[in-house]
Amino acid sequence: MVLKIFFPQCCTTADSGLLVGCWIPDQDSAVVLAVVHYPFIPGQVKRYLTEIRSQTDVDLTVLGSWSMPKEGQEGMDSFLKDLSTIFPHSRWLQLSREIGKRGFTCQVVRKGGMFLKEQAKEGEGSVRDENEKVIIVHYDQRKVMLSQLHPVQEGVSHSKMEQSALRAVFHTVAQSHPLFFIDKYDDGPLKLTHWQSEGREASIIAELVKQGSVPVCKLLTWMLSLWSWLGSIRLLNVPPVRFISSKLSTCVQLGYRTEHLQTVSSTRKATEHMEFMRKANIFVSFLLDMALGLLLIAWLYRENRIGKLASTLVPVADHVAKELRELLEWLMGAPAGLKMNRALDQVLGRFFIYHIHLWISYIHLMSPFIEMILWYVGLSACLGLTFALSVLSDMVALLTFHIYCFYVYGARLYCLKIYGLSSLWRLFRGKKWNVLRQRVDSCSYDMDQLFIGTLLFTILLFLLPTTALYYLVFTLLRLVVVLFQGLIHLAVDLLNSFPLFAMGLRVCRPYRLAEGVKFRVLCEEEGTPLHLMMEINPIKVSAVLQYYRTPTYSCYPRDSWMALCKKLFVGELIYPWKHKTTKTD
Amino acid sequence: MADDSLTDIYGNRIGVACRCHSDLCREVTVSGPKLSLRSVLVYTCGVWLLAYAAFCCTENTAVLSCAIILTLVGLMVYIHFFKVDHESLLIIGSLGVQLSSSYASGRECTSFIEMSKIKDVVINEAVYMHRVIYYLCILIKDPADPHAVSSVLPLFQSSKPRLKCLIEVYKTCQEILAQS
Amino acid sequence: CGVLLTTATFAPPTPALVRSHRATARAAGSGRHRICMVSDFFYPNMGGVESHIYQLSQCLVEQGHKVVIATHAYGDRRGVRYLTRGLKVYYLPLQVMYNQSTSTTCFHSLPLLRCVFVRERITVVHAHSSFSAMAHDALFHAKTMGLNTVFTDHSLFGFADVSSVLTNKLLTVSLCDTNHIICVSYTSKENTVLRAGLDPEIVSVIPNAVDPTEFTPDPGRRDDSKITVVVVSRLVYRKGIDLLGGIIPELCAKHPDLCFLIGGEGPKRIVLEEVREKYQLHDRVRLLGALDHKDVRDVLVQGHIFLNTSLTEAFCMAIVEGASCGLQVVSTCVGGIPEVLPDEMVTLCEPTVRSLCDGLEIVIARQRSGSVPSPASIHRRVETLYTWRNVAERTEKVYNRVSGQEVLSLDRRLTRLTSHCGSVAGAIFAFIAVLNYLFLLLLQWLIPDDVIDIAIDGSGPQSCWTQTSSKKGKRKANQIL
Repeated sequence: MVLKIFFPQCCTTADSGLLVGCWIPDQDSAVVLAVVHYPFIPGQVKRYLTEIRSQTDVDLTVLGSWSMPKEGQEGMDSFLKDLSTIFPHSRWLQLSREIGKRGFTCQVVRKGGMFLKEQAKEGEGSVRDENEKVIIVHYDQRKVMLSQLHPVQEGVSHSKMEQSALRAVFHTVAQSHPLFFIDKYDDGPLKLTHWQSEGREASIIAELVKQGSVPVCKLLTWMLSLWSWLGSIRLLNVPPVRFISSKLSTCVQLGYRTEHLQTVSSTRKATEHMEFMRKANIFVSFLLDMALGLLLIAWLYRENRIGKLASTLVPVADHVAKELRELLEWLMGAPAGLKMNRALDQVLGRFFIYHIHLWISYIHLMSPFIEMILWYVGLSACLGLTFALSVLSDMVALLTFHIYCFYVYGARLYCLKIYGLSSLWRLFRGKKWNVLRQRVDSCSYDMDQLFIGTLLFTILLFLLPTTALYYLVFTLLRLVVVLFQGLIHLAVDLLNSFPLFAMGLRVCRPYRLAEGVKFRVLCEEEGTPLHLMMEINPIKVSAVLQYYRTPTYSCYPRDSWMALCKKLFVGELIYPWKHKTTKTD
Repeated sequence: MADDSLTDIYGNRIGVACRCHSDLCREVTVSGPKLSLRSVLVYTCGVWLLAYAAFCCTENTAVLSCAIILTLVGLMVYIHFFKVDHESLLIIGSLGVQLSSSYASGRECTSFIEMSKIKDVVINEAVYMHRVIYYLCILIKDPADPHAVSSVLPLFQSSKPRLKCLIEVYKTCQEILAQS
Repeated sequence: CGVLLTTATFAPPTPALVRSHRATARAAGSGRHRICMVSDFFYPNMGGVESHIYQLSQCLVEQGHKVVIATHAYGDRRGVRYLTRGLKVYYLPLQVMYNQSTSTTCFHSLPLLRCVFVRERITVVHAHSSFSAMAHDALFHAKTMGLNTVFTDHSLFGFADVSSVLTNKLLTVSLCDTNHIICVSYTSKENTVLRAGLDPEIVSVIPNAVDPTEFTPDPGRRDDSKITVVVVSRLVYRKGIDLLGGIIPELCAKHPDLCFLIGGEGPKRIVLEEVREKYQLHDRVRLLGALDHKDVRDVLVQGHIFLNTSLTEAFCMAIVEGASCGLQVVSTCVGGIPEVLPDEMVTLCEPTVRSLCDGLEIVIARQRSGSVPSPASIHRRVETLYTWRNVAERTEKVYNRVSGQEVLSLDRRLTRLTSHCGSVAGAIFAFIAVLNYLFLLLLQWLIPDDVIDIAIDGSGPQSCWTQTSSKKGKRKANQIL
């Protein structure tokens, strides 16, 4: 068996005394937490340990003794051995350091085999227990205490956590936090060496902030509840209003932000690591969002930028309409040398041109008010940059409504043709689609049915290119708009979900988020056990993103590229439209 | 075990060093071939010649500065993210196995696997880049079922030593694993 | 800790390493070959070729030869696997094109196959099935690398349609410098010799076999109150499923106590489903879907009559399996089927609905009158007809003959290609052969043979396969890095 002793780095230079720590069950390892110095009264040590034990879950015991040789302290060995009779134990560790050596030796005394050991010692002079090999692992107490091992296991039953020895060590050190509150300036009956915090000035400010935040949170919660009450009024839940609001990214962002604020302002203390990180991430990204929004306002409301923007908007819309009209006229002729069905081509072209005409007159009707609208809409940026971006996305959607309409008409027509063609093609081959079994059956048709079907098939087939061309052109136009909106949406998503706090923690305090540990061999000296240095292995940046990304829901359909292409090919409507419920059989 | 005749699967020389810290702890380091000055020069000159050709066509000096920046950034990315200088395997009896690979730029990537998660260390065969090779791997236990293997973690992924070297490392690993 | 094969393999040689003494005893003999079986078709795909390769390899391993199998990756199953007795299977990541057959470009499989041939120190390359592009590729590469080649043809082909003409040309090119060809029946031999324009001297006939212990009769399992007709085949056009769709309604109308039990899966399943729905035979026609190899026997013993409606067949293993389970066999008389079973054990019909119905009527009448031999007696007769051991011994003779022959050098190969395969195709393939040779030289320059690690043998004279490791070896997880 190999015995592993986890030894804090700060205790390597401590004065002689008792080792306080705990055994990790089933793992054959001991964690040393502190060294109690001479002089002490055994009764007091015991009382102190029971006190700490009641405060924490850690089974704190005296593990053994620690001796640091100094001038004028000879004859220590026998005294230390005697100590083992005072404190109850099954195994007694004796760590001792020698002058001029970096490593230190360890002897393990078993309760039953004590006498045997003594005799062996007398016989051979040196004690090296062959059955018991020892590895001493040094660790940085502060870092281990503060770090959080990933993947985070919270709420998992204790027995499962104990499976891993390292996890158990981390858990023990973190749990024994109260032990470290006593510092060396405290006047207590016992003198201990362990990690000590350097100061408490900053923590006072932190306390004050904590106290102050409670009423702020309460106020926020009240306002939010008022807001959600407003949202739940009957009027807003009428189907069309709800449908439209679910498609407007501003409304989506509003609901999303409300949810975030509710999370942050809840007065309940975040006990678990993940919950705390989530709150902190949301809070920091909220602050950043606001700051960016205010910057935007400061830029926008200077030098009459709004007016300039408004005055360019109407000509741009006009220009787009003109380009569209030219495009349609091109399509109505012989586009790219293609020969189209003239009658259908004319009908479709005129229909769309009339639509553009309607749209332009609408824009011109609006034009006197555009500057005012922009001025008020610009104010929404004080709620955060994400709001400004969402409003921009919505405005683009409204201003390109005609393109959307064209796309819908084209797609519907095309879709109808494709469906018609596919079912007539089946008829052509003597098959039919069996709806009940979701498969293609063979079927015998009458002469008349076949005749009519073939006729229709031919007509549809020859009219297809004209429709397909219109569909293709308008789909491309629509895709450009969707792409732009998608980019804005991505930016909003990024601002909303980026784990800024966790990222900062990873950069400034890498040990706080640990992926695991790494070991370094410290020294190899003859006669000393293996010394290893345990260091914290910080988590990868990509993993930080993966763990702490605030979950967002996107109103975009989550299609794969292949599915999107297929949808485009058969003429199904892509964003934004109601999702077709999948058929069940 | 410092044998100069050991090669990787492409026939390049590799250095293998085994340090024995104690009878519980061994460290095997496999160091791949060093970044050769010749290949760096060849690539750099290639890019610069291309840039100069583009410069002759376009008469735009931005092309040249772009090429210089591109080669510098490319070299930096290569030595920081791709070029592995040496990989080492630290086996500590009853504690675990630590894999680390250090890149030519000095960056180190380390991961430690606890002994309780390791089922075994074996030599396996795999199809890799149009050939079949042997590799050393750690079998990771499935936490739900201790007899099942949940995943396979290949060792020495960038140096890829040949079978002869793998057998030596395998024996070293098995010695320590057998103790604990 | 040594439960995995590799663990056992590299442990220091201890007495615990029990070697199969049969293998060690024969190791001294020089007549041992290192054979690589190449085909696109292998387990987990199911069919005649697959079980042929597996059973033949197992028997050859038992004889002390070293055998490895190379096939293409099936879904998740890629890399290297071990089967019973240390039979090593390479699932190479080659792109599947159509019907589980890989695409052929004559070149892209060379690096992988060369690696396999070199690291396993292969002496004989044995390719299977003319449908398998990988088999043809392997023959081509093996000849370039100077290895002896054997080819087994499992199927018959026509001469008339376009695809047959093309495949026949490919076969001519592929076989014109192959050392030896094995066919599974005399009909198949005749067909292959005609198609590929071969010298009949280098074509041997070695039939397929079944494992009689796996297909034993069990009359207790069948329901004697009705007559059950069993069909076990892939539901594809070649197996005559359209004929089956014509037979079922006709016979079911005549005999109210007739049931059909159909095992297998394929694109023609829809035909049977439609027949079943149209004539409302849901209780009498059962479609079992895809069957595992181990379940086939359980299905077979539930019937009285085994029906085979194949339109073309080189050697029908299915009817031998059916007969081995003690069933009355009704089959179409196509290809090599008449050679397979003695006349009194099989009723042969023309491949038409009419003829098949007549044949079935006769057997049903015989079954009703009780004048059929007992399943056990049929099984006893079949048992001795075809055994894998026999097949393996005959194949071994082919290997012995082949290994003495010299492999044609490049110039002689080119002359043979141009003289034997017609001027145009011959010239094209001679050019491809030269390119292939140059590609091999390039590969040998990039990765010399001595840089490729020699594999540890799983079977054969120097086998490291132990009894203890054989069970766990299959679980070895091989992954592509």
